[in-house]
Amino acid sequence: MMKAVSCAYVRASAQALSTSLRASGAAVNAIATREAHSDLQVPDFSPYRRDSVKDVRRRNESAEERKAFSYMLVGAGAVGGVYAAKGLVNTFLGSMSASADVLAMAKIEIKLADIAEGKSVTFKWRGKPLFIRHRTASEIETERGVPTSTLRDPETDDQRVIKPEWLVVIGVCTHLGCVPIANSGDFGGYYCPCHGSHYDASGRIRKGPAPLNLEVPTHEFPDEGTLIVG
Amino acid sequence: MKVIYNTLFKRTSAYAVAIMASAFFFERAIDVSSNTIYDTINKGKLWKDIKGKYE
Repeated sequence: MMKAVSCAYVRASAQALSTSLRASGAAVNAIATREAHSDLQVPDFSPYRRDSVKDVRRRNESAEERKAFSYMLVGAGAVGGVYAAKGLVNTFLGSMSASADVLAMAKIEIKLADIAEGKSVTFKWRGKPLFIRHRTASEIETERGVPTSTLRDPETDDQRVIKPEWLVVIGVCTHLGCVPIANSGDFGGYYCPCHGSHYDASGRIRKGPAPLNLEVPTHEFPDEGTLIVG
Repeated sequence: MKVIYNTLFKRTSAYAVAIMASAFFFERAIDVSSNTIYDTINKGKLWKDIKGKYE
C-alpha cells in the first residue's frame, strides 16, 4: 500500500517538475535523468506503525492521545524539575538569613523596675554596651529646654526618646568608639575619657571632638515595666 | 486523554500552570511519604518514640 502511494507521489512530482521546466523554456529532459530525489523508494514502515495510523486514508484520530502521552512524560519531568529548583532556591535563600543563635542574641528584654531613678545601667547588646538611663523629672525638663540651634547634631529630646523617663542609647562614643562614663561631664550625662567628649542626659554631643549624638537603637515598651531593644 | 490534552497541554500557558500546580501537590506527597518511610525504618530510635521514658 505504502509503496504504491510513494510511487504515485514520485511520478506526480516528476511530472510537475517537467511541466515547470517546459514553461520556463529549459531543456525537457528531467524525467530521463536519474537523480536521488526522483528515484527514491520510500521505505515501508508499516510494521513499526500503530494500528490507528496504518491506513493512510483514514483520519488521524489518535494524534491527541499520542501527543498527550508525550506531553505527560515531559510534564512529569518538569514537575520534578520545579520541585528540585524550589528546594535549591530555598536552600540558598535560607543560607542568607540569620542563624538561630544570632537571632536569639538580637533582642534584649530589660525589667525597668530594677533601675532606680537617676541611675544609668549598662547592658551588653549585640556585642556593644547599651545604656539605659532612668531620668529624673529635672533632667527631662533641662533636656527639653535646650534650643536645637545650639547643638552640633540638632535633635530635640522628643525625637530621641519614646518615654521621657527612659533614655536608651548605644554606649559607643561617636568620635573614636570609646565607652563613655555615665553621670559625669559638664552636662550631667555621659563623658568620654578618651578625648573629652561631653554628652548631655539625652545622649547628645555638647562639647568635645565627637561629631554626632549617641546612637538610639530601635526599642519599644510592650507593657509597663518592660523594655525590648532590637 | 483527549480531554486532558485539549484542556491542559495544548496551550503553553495552561501547560505551565498545570506543571506549577502539580509540583505543589507533588512536593507535599514526596515530603509526607519520605517522612513516613523514614519514621517506619527508624521506629523505636527516634526521640518522639523514646520521649516517654525520660519524662
